[in-house]
Amino acid sequence: MSGAALIGNPNTGKTSLFNTLTSSYEYVGNWSGVTVEKKIGQLKDKSGPLTDLPGIYSLHPLSRDEGVAAEYLVTDSPSLLINIVDASQLERNLYLTIQLLEYGKPVIIGLNMIDVAKARGLAIDTAYLSERLHTEIVPLIARTGVGSKELLSCMNKTEEKDLSPCFTIHYGAVIEEAILGISREVNSELTFSGLSPRWIALQILEDNPAVMNSLALTEATLSRIRAIKEDALKQLRMKEDTSSLQDYIRSVRTEIIQDICASAVDQSNRKPHTLTEKIDTFAAHPVWGIPIFLAFMLLTFELTFDWLGNPLSDLLDAFISGPLSTLVEQGLTAVGASGFTHALIIDGIIGGVGGVLVFMPQIFIMFLIISFIEDSGYMARITVMMDKLMEMVGLNGKALIPFIIGFGCNVPAVMASRSIEQPKERTLTMLLVPLMSCSARLPVYALFAGIFFANSQALIVLSLYVMGIVLTLVLAKLFSLFLFKDSKSFFMVELPPYRMPQTVTLFRSTWEKGKGFLRKAGTFILGGSVLIWLLTYLGPGGIAAEMDDSFLASIGGLFAALLEPLGFGTWQSGAALVTGFMAKEVVVSTMNIIYHVPDMAGLQEQISLAFTPLQAYSFMAFVLLYTPCLATVGVLRKETASWKWTLFSVGYSLVLAYTVAVIIYQGGKWIGLT
Amino acid sequence: MIPCQSCLTSLQPGNSGSICRFGNIDPILKRRLADLGVAEGSNITVKRCCLWGGPILLECDGQLLGIRQKEAAKIEVSVS
Repeated sequence: MSGAALIGNPNTGKTSLFNTLTSSYEYVGNWSGVTVEKKIGQLKDKSGPLTDLPGIYSLHPLSRDEGVAAEYLVTDSPSLLINIVDASQLERNLYLTIQLLEYGKPVIIGLNMIDVAKARGLAIDTAYLSERLHTEIVPLIARTGVGSKELLSCMNKTEEKDLSPCFTIHYGAVIEEAILGISREVNSELTFSGLSPRWIALQILEDNPAVMNSLALTEATLSRIRAIKEDALKQLRMKEDTSSLQDYIRSVRTEIIQDICASAVDQSNRKPHTLTEKIDTFAAHPVWGIPIFLAFMLLTFELTFDWLGNPLSDLLDAFISGPLSTLVEQGLTAVGASGFTHALIIDGIIGGVGGVLVFMPQIFIMFLIISFIEDSGYMARITVMMDKLMEMVGLNGKALIPFIIGFGCNVPAVMASRSIEQPKERTLTMLLVPLMSCSARLPVYALFAGIFFANSQALIVLSLYVMGIVLTLVLAKLFSLFLFKDSKSFFMVELPPYRMPQTVTLFRSTWEKGKGFLRKAGTFILGGSVLIWLLTYLGPGGIAAEMDDSFLASIGGLFAALLEPLGFGTWQSGAALVTGFMAKEVVVSTMNIIYHVPDMAGLQEQISLAFTPLQAYSFMAFVLLYTPCLATVGVLRKETASWKWTLFSVGYSLVLAYTVAVIIYQGGKWIGLT
Repeated sequence: MIPCQSCLTSLQPGNSGSICRFGNIDPILKRRLADLGVAEGSNITVKRCCLWGGPILLECDGQLLGIRQKEAAKIEVSVS
């Protein structure tokens, strides 16, 4: 037994409730497909584990994330199902509810978003609903936590009294006979599965691939089951006009749901989504929708850099290079630290980690805006507006969701691709996500653009993001022409009603994303900084007198000649790029350590001597495009389940980065830029 | 606009009709639509079309959704 599980349609607030019930901070948003894998947490009152599952409309999965939920039911056999139902969309939500009631385990219905339903003028008779479905119903507002206490106490009650559902639908003589026949076959083979044979039989009649695969029946049994199904369909066709058993079963269920809803839901005061309609008049306008989106992006960059991010970053820099460094220096002198320790801490750790941490304000502002897009409902509108463009290059409008998440971090972005139905479009999206300029690349831009393009920082940085997007489109077209055969594609997206993100949720999501950056600062960037500093300190002949004789110089030197045509053929650039594979912020750490400067102003001066503006732009473009970082490579391997695609992703990006940087530098020189 | 006699794309934004037949659309899309309660007999409203042949926005029983025009052209509706 694996405790209770939250299950329900996409975007009904399962994860919001999960966070309340288990005091966790899992990722929430206002679109379908936020949660793509199962999450397990401990209930607040320590009464057992709770599993959060990706949203599904029915048990028959169409995409990778939905498969997770369906397989969970067959293999993990939870002792209690908590079915979260969107009160404002009762009819469509009850379809899954029926399949869950047939599953045979106790079901509690969490009737969520009763506030939304009320605002839309819908009144739901919960007592009647509970009586018809023979199950407990708890009204909830998951976003604010209303009803979560009642739900918890209801969950604890299930242990005392038997809540096994006694809800059954009679599907007609033909189907009932087939259910009996299949149950018999399944029972003879699986004696200890603990699953309801009736439920299994119905899932088999509906051709649910996730259930069939998880059961792993023998070929002999399968062929007898196939015969039962064919026979049932033949008999059914004599009486009814139906194309498949699946359609027929669906129609029986739909009829019952409509009958229940007709009495349970009072729609007499129904109102349209006034606010959503109003916002969509602008945000999803046929002509102005795209310009508004682009203007919003430009605003994002202005806020992240010029208006808010840079001033805050300067303050932080002044603190780290001023009071903090002085304090640490004094402390080190007071305890009589050796010259080695002193240099390691001041030049290595404070230089390397501090040099990246000063860009925290820009990163957090970017995360805040991304969280706002995720939580407001705007995300789904962007996918609609961009679908045509995406279709032309062989992608799907839904790819925009991973791409936008990718501006924060590529790792969750690769995972978010799971909600794309077609395997080809999903793989293609995952391969291209690394071209989205993640927040780890932001310190590199902030540093270089701040030195060379101080007057138009936001524009220069925006140009890099746009470069990533344009190259994504070009490569998507090329890859879908030459690498993939299957061209079947469709697009369907649900547009959730807009809602004002709650301040608490917004800051929490920003913090959860930002924590990843801070954690990286404490692990990869710290470790990398120490390693890099040691490599600059030591050389083939012991302690290096000059940094040019150090190990790092010889490692970086290997690549210097290769990078010459790109405009930055120095061992310093080579070394920074090699170490940047660990995490792209490390590029900045390495520069800080190499140029051995106490603060940003000093580093800026050093870099302005080492690079020209053209070389700097070429370098930024190279950092944008060259190889996904270590963590992204890891998640690509896991999600594509193929080394071939993973290596391809690394390979194509290296070739692309090199080509683009050569074009920028040589082309720039040719037209007379410096 | 993809021309058709009595399909979804022939409806002006703001108008609605009842779905009478799904033509030759992708079975997975048909399932997805059924999941959202869009099936034969459902009443559906065209909200707006996107520029340059982009997706068409629909509403069915309070649920907003978007699908491509070429698929919408295969869904036949009757206006009462």
